[in-house]
Amino acid sequence: MKKLKRIILLVIILSLSITVFNDGSFFVTSISPGLGLNSAGKDVEELQQRLKNWGYYHGDIDGFYGWDTFLAVRDFQKRYTIGEDGIASKDTLLAMGLTKIAEKGSAYAAPHKGAGNEQLLARAINGEARGEPYVGQVAVGAVILNRTRDPKFPKTIAGVIYQPRAFTAVADGQINVPIDPKSTVVKAARDALNGWDPTNGCIYYWNPATATSKWIWSRKIIKKIGKHNFGK
Amino acid sequence: MSFREKLLDLKRRLSDRKMYSIVIAVIGAISIWGLYQYKHAANLRQELDNQYNRSFYDMVGYVNNVETLLTKALITSSPTKTASILQEAWRQANLAQTNLGQLPVSQPVLANTSKFLTQVGDLAYSLNNQNMQGKPLTSQEYKTVQQLQGFATSLGNSLNDLQNQLAGGRLRWNELANKGTPLFQKTSQQLPGKEFENIDKTFQQYPTLIYDGPFSDHLVTAEPRGVTGNELNSEQAKQSVINFLGADRIRAITDTNRNDTGPIKTYSYSVTFKNAPDDQVATMDITQKGGHVFWMLNNRPVPNATMNIDQAKATGKKFLEDHGYKGMVDTYYLKEDNTATINYAYQQNNVTIYPDLIKVKVALDNGEIVGFEARSYLSAHTTRTIPKPKITEQQARAKINPNIQVGSSGMAIIPTDYKTEIFTYEFKGRMNDRDIIVYINAESGKEENVLMIVNTPNGVLTM
Repeated sequence: MKKLKRIILLVIILSLSITVFNDGSFFVTSISPGLGLNSAGKDVEELQQRLKNWGYYHGDIDGFYGWDTFLAVRDFQKRYTIGEDGIASKDTLLAMGLTKIAEKGSAYAAPHKGAGNEQLLARAINGEARGEPYVGQVAVGAVILNRTRDPKFPKTIAGVIYQPRAFTAVADGQINVPIDPKSTVVKAARDALNGWDPTNGCIYYWNPATATSKWIWSRKIIKKIGKHNFGK
Repeated sequence: MSFREKLLDLKRRLSDRKMYSIVIAVIGAISIWGLYQYKHAANLRQELDNQYNRSFYDMVGYVNNVETLLTKALITSSPTKTASILQEAWRQANLAQTNLGQLPVSQPVLANTSKFLTQVGDLAYSLNNQNMQGKPLTSQEYKTVQQLQGFATSLGNSLNDLQNQLAGGRLRWNELANKGTPLFQKTSQQLPGKEFENIDKTFQQYPTLIYDGPFSDHLVTAEPRGVTGNELNSEQAKQSVINFLGADRIRAITDTNRNDTGPIKTYSYSVTFKNAPDDQVATMDITQKGGHVFWMLNNRPVPNATMNIDQAKATGKKFLEDHGYKGMVDTYYLKEDNTATINYAYQQNNVTIYPDLIKVKVALDNGEIVGFEARSYLSAHTTRTIPKPKITEQQARAKINPNIQVGSSGMAIIPTDYKTEIFTYEFKGRMNDRDIIVYINAESGKEENVLMIVNTPNGVLTM
């Protein structure tokens, strides 16, 4: 019984470390055209189909370049003595006859550097302004971004969002509420990151009905959007 | 059975021996659970306290370092040595500011301390850049550094006081967070609220920089050059909304707001459309002066994409031309949610003027313009007198790292961190399979900026 538990524990730890390894920056820095771990899309589906036809790959054709695909590509490379790195780079793709992908080949080029910040911003908006009109959601995102540029606040998005006592949604865990797939908060986060600022440079906002801090009322109200007042 | 009888019955049952042990066992279990929970909570609190302490002690260390470095900067005589000291001061001030932001004290209390640290960093950064070119400090700058050094000393002293109290156990973080704020307030009040230098230097590269194209994040100038025309009232400015969205499509326009602060004053409108649900609205800000469109956002969901990026670029350009923005060329773009956000920069005499930037968001299902943003354009746009370059393209090309294979070249005006613009040669090239853009000053030949292009399926981004 104990042995079984140990084995299970080991498996869990291993799989966790693989996830960490997988998400880390180990492979993602390569900029050469081609497909690699964490790539996704139609191109990966085509790649998986080929590998499956030739018996290297046994998983599902799901369009996601996971470890199964990685190992299959490596086996293929071993067979044809192309550099065994598990990355479907240009040479490998050409060897498979996937010339179209090899020439297009930018799917793997840029891991979305902003994706983390985009998600974090979207979750903050979700926690703070789920029920607000769309512009109100963009405005909350814009305030967070304006803070990163203001000398009185931390300089990073995470620094601003997780600054102690800055946002109630962070203090009470609302920020971890899952985002409704129909919700517009991700779109709002993107618009805010793309530079739309409905508040014209505000760094504070508060809900007049629930604000507990007296200090906040000393701020000049620049705009009212939805339930929130925005100020500098 | 009456209530009294019920009670007696309960008493009788409880006095049963078996019952006693059960009750005791239950109470025991609950107390063990409670004890465990209490310990757990205490551990968490301790962990948090430790985090706060680390941030605080780190910050005090960095502030003391900043003070020492500023003193050294005043003593050294060679510009290059000053430059390296100031660079270190910039780094340390930045670290101090980061740690400050992690303390559990409300933001208004820390505002001035934070601002001070940022300004020390910004000043050190700009002086460092200047000293690297071998220029010594002017007497005015010397005075400013002296003043900052004085403030750093007093900040250091009050922080050391606070540190002693914390270390002596006379203060705890939860007390400090709840009622101990006057201590920080005092520290913060001793520092100057006024600005030393207005440089907007973002230390971390954000996706905004990438998405926006590299040159849109420059400061909004105090005097918005692009906002021209007469002062309009809200009714007159409404005409801009109608011209922009098209009279035939609009169902109703609501006047929602006016903003009378900041360099660009605006009216806000909310617009609903014919043959569209009530919750689909476009929100717009129009400048009070001249009735220029400041920004517009339409919340219509775009279900699918039928246009490619070239069609979207053409649609955006045509829209700009139809609305009086002539000579705009597209630079960077990003595709998301079946829309394309495209940056257009102004071009004058074949010189790309990056500060004059407009962002247009095109819906890829029917080519409708669902977003528009002209903050940079309105702040910077004007007809410029473009000087003749002092060095030739050949001379400029010689300044580039020889490993870069130059593909194309052109001329561009780019903004700097210091609210100024510089006239440059723009070289696009490749090195180690990476696309690179290099900017060489057309007057001094100095390498002003190097950008790396990242081609993704979603768009062309730069870092």
